Amino acid sequence: MAGYIIKRLLSAIPVLLGISIIVFVIMAMIPGDPATAILGSYATPENVEKLNRDLGLDQPMIQRYFIWLGNMLHGDFGRSFSLNRAVLDEVLERFNATLVLAGTAFVICSLLGVAAGVISAARQFGLADKLITFVVLLGISIPSFFLGMMMILIFAVDLRWFPVSGMWPIYGDRDFTALIRHLTLPAIALAVVAAGVIARLSRSAMLEVLRQDFIRTARAKGVHERSVIWRHALRAAMVTIIPVLGIQAGFVLSGAVYIEIVFQWPGVGRMLVDAILTRDILLVQGGVVIVAACYVMFNIVVDVAQSLLDPRIKT
Amino acid sequence: MSGFFKLLARNRLALGGLIVMVAVVLLSLLTPLLPLANPDVIDTANRFKLPLEGTALLGTDHLGRDLLSRLLWGTRLSLAVGFVAAAVAATLGATIGIVAGFYGGKTDNIIMRGVDMLMAFPYILLALAIVAALGPGLMNALIAVSAVNIPFFARNIRGVTVGIAHKEFVDAARLSGMGDLRIIATEVLPNVIPVIVIAISTTVGWMILETAGLSFLGLGSQPPQADLGSMLGEARSALITNPNTSIIPGAMILIIVMAINLLGDGVRDALDPRLKSGALSRPMPATRVDRKAPIPTASDDALLALRDLHTQFHVKGRVYKAVGGVDLSVRPGECLGIIGESGSGKSVTALSVMGLVASPPGVITGGAVYYQGQDLVGAPYETLRRLRGDSVAYIFQDPQATLHPLYTIGDQLIEAVRVHHPKGKAEARAHAIDLLKSVRIPNAEDRINSYPHELSGGMRQRVGIAMALANDPEVIIADEPTTALDVTVQAQILSLLDDLRRERGLAIIFITHDFGVVAQLCDRVAVMYAGRIVEEGPTEAILNTAAHPYTARLMACVPELGGGRRRLAAIPGLPPGVDQLGIGCAFADRCDKVQPACRAADIPLAPLRPGQKVRCIHPEPARPEAVA
Repeated sequence: MAGYIIKRLLSAIPVLLGISIIVFVIMAMIPGDPATAILGSYATPENVEKLNRDLGLDQPMIQRYFIWLGNMLHGDFGRSFSLNRAVLDEVLERFNATLVLAGTAFVICSLLGVAAGVISAARQFGLADKLITFVVLLGISIPSFFLGMMMILIFAVDLRWFPVSGMWPIYGDRDFTALIRHLTLPAIALAVVAAGVIARLSRSAMLEVLRQDFIRTARAKGVHERSVIWRHALRAAMVTIIPVLGIQAGFVLSGAVYIEIVFQWPGVGRMLVDAILTRDILLVQGGVVIVAACYVMFNIVVDVAQSLLDPRIKT
Repeated sequence: MSGFFKLLARNRLALGGLIVMVAVVLLSLLTPLLPLANPDVIDTANRFKLPLEGTALLGTDHLGRDLLSRLLWGTRLSLAVGFVAAAVAATLGATIGIVAGFYGGKTDNIIMRGVDMLMAFPYILLALAIVAALGPGLMNALIAVSAVNIPFFARNIRGVTVGIAHKEFVDAARLSGMGDLRIIATEVLPNVIPVIVIAISTTVGWMILETAGLSFLGLGSQPPQADLGSMLGEARSALITNPNTSIIPGAMILIIVMAINLLGDGVRDALDPRLKSGALSRPMPATRVDRKAPIPTASDDALLALRDLHTQFHVKGRVYKAVGGVDLSVRPGECLGIIGESGSGKSVTALSVMGLVASPPGVITGGAVYYQGQDLVGAPYETLRRLRGDSVAYIFQDPQATLHPLYTIGDQLIEAVRVHHPKGKAEARAHAIDLLKSVRIPNAEDRINSYPHELSGGMRQRVGIAMALANDPEVIIADEPTTALDVTVQAQILSLLDDLRRERGLAIIFITHDFGVVAQLCDRVAVMYAGRIVEEGPTEAILNTAAHPYTARLMACVPELGGGRRRLAAIPGLPPGVDQLGIGCAFADRCDKVQPACRAADIPLAPLRPGQKVRCIHPEPARPEAVA
């Protein structure tokens, strides 16, 4: 197992390099003089000169890439000109808030999605199946930002069950209950779309598995139907469902940007949008690389989970 | 093509989606012709008017602009951007996928590496990075959204292309001197188009959502031009005071995307061959029972007795009579063989006993199965479940598929015990080891921790037998348990079953198409043809003096070691389809002794000699020399 984890970690290196190349290429598409373009409205002569020196912008592309890569490996992601702060510090601080939001949403959408898919498949063509199918269709069709806005209207403004926005109360203690109260609406709004996708795929994975011969064997053994569904069938279906969870994690992590805007959540997505609008390119670049790298790492966790679940995978 | 539309029309939800989509598209095409107010004229005196208040039908926004007009123009823009993004992503993605899949090798490797890298990004993050570089704007948002969807198309279409690129017709085209471009255009493209259509139909909704999302963030369409997303984004600041300005564009996005998704599901169902047959339905815990005729009574003291059992498959209005009135019985310690060709209904008969026929499409339409005098066919599910595995156990063919691949054989054995007899884990485990030993699995203590894929076919089959024995059942139904095995293993397993029968007084129903196996193990044999028993009697009598022409012909097909220069006579023709059985003898069309009377009326299973029954009006005479 340890060997497999190391192998997967090593295989992440080319992916991470690939990500850095893609980000670098995208940023190289910026038209005009790089330093001026990167600095945008902060392009004072001193800043331009400093950036040229830091990034080696007077040098050819290939060299610039390696300078940039080397700097990143030393933890130097440059300086945000709009915030006048090191990019890494800002991103890490914001990323914490995003992880709380996206992590909660991911747990919600995984549990809800898989459960809904299993129930839907077990009651195929029944009332529960039709109901779930309809709710799922609604879930995957509604823009998460619109859903979030409607949830604010209903649950925060009308019913006053939850605060309208933010991560912490403006006055009062920053304790766990306060966080949960602030987290509930945005986490659910963020989870809904992914939960719908997971439920759909879980349903079809379960239907596929329920037709297999080993399910008939379990029934022939006299296993309770509940156990046939939730133990035998779900265990086999998880092999198909887990990679989907991995993909959905990416949607939740990056889709958090909408929810962070709607709910004024101090996360990395909102930071990126602000950075794009103020043309703070270095902040965008650093944020994108760090979030993408975390997602790559998360996918290794998914692969390891998959190998634990399926003994047929050679570890 | 007309079949495609028919399928689509049959799906009412998809049709609903199609109608809504057509309406929305028509409306947005007609928008410039409609007598609408100018969507960009600011009238701050009339801001935040509610629908029907004042002149504007849907009210006005925070700048006093006509909401209906803005909604229709915004819809037009959103749809246009969404469809263009989908078209661009599909074209570029398909091209990349076809090139990678068609050329393979290094080209494929390099392209797919790049695609994998792009897919390693969280989707929206990549779009944000692209917009960051190009700057906010609707065109740039369109580029970003189509760019992040290209990998999805490329990967899907590459997969299909790889499959096609090695097909014979592509090789033939190559040999005939066609150029690569022409082969791609004439041979590959027509075959990948359905996949492209499915991929578009499942992603265009996403793309509309994503562009709306970027506009919502202020990174897409820039004022005063507005798509649905930026309308929502602008309205957000007045969400609490004037929710209707948010609800109107938001609901429009929801309606459009929902209609597209419904339509997309319909398109996928109509185009995907796997779904076309409607095969993706789950079998219920027990076979559906729908008995119209009176239920036959238990007639003798047999342990297990099937009485006039009818099991059918109802598929798309056709009725397949897999089992058409079967009577069978076994006593304790007896072994009954059921023999017949594939498709003769022997497995369905066996599975009907415990309600294990997959349903849908299976239905038990008549008859009864008496176990110790209790009718199992009409029994409630819980009664059936208690008997399954505990009193009546199954051994299935092909243990590769019939054992759960992700649980150890130990776990599966322990479960079989504990589901009927509450025992401690350790005790159940010890019992499981004993079971493995009783089927002569070496190193049972170690083997118990193996997964099915770690065992050989013969070992897996023994595990299947051990599992059937777990609760010391009264009856074992073995459905071709040795068919997948080689001859030596087969012999071992047969003698194992025979020993168990003698030691434990098991009743065995043994299903096979192999006369050798029957001769070795069975006391009595029933021969099945087209869902009915055509002959039944003691094994010896059937083997020596087969009375039904079908049995006689079936045995003439069996080669014999040292059998001399006897001609192996295949039976001409095929068994009749069980969805179109006529009256009279089902074997009539293949029988060389057929008379008009054979097809005139139903032929009963009548006693011929002591213990031997046959469903034939011209039974073969007793000819002991025939099998000498």
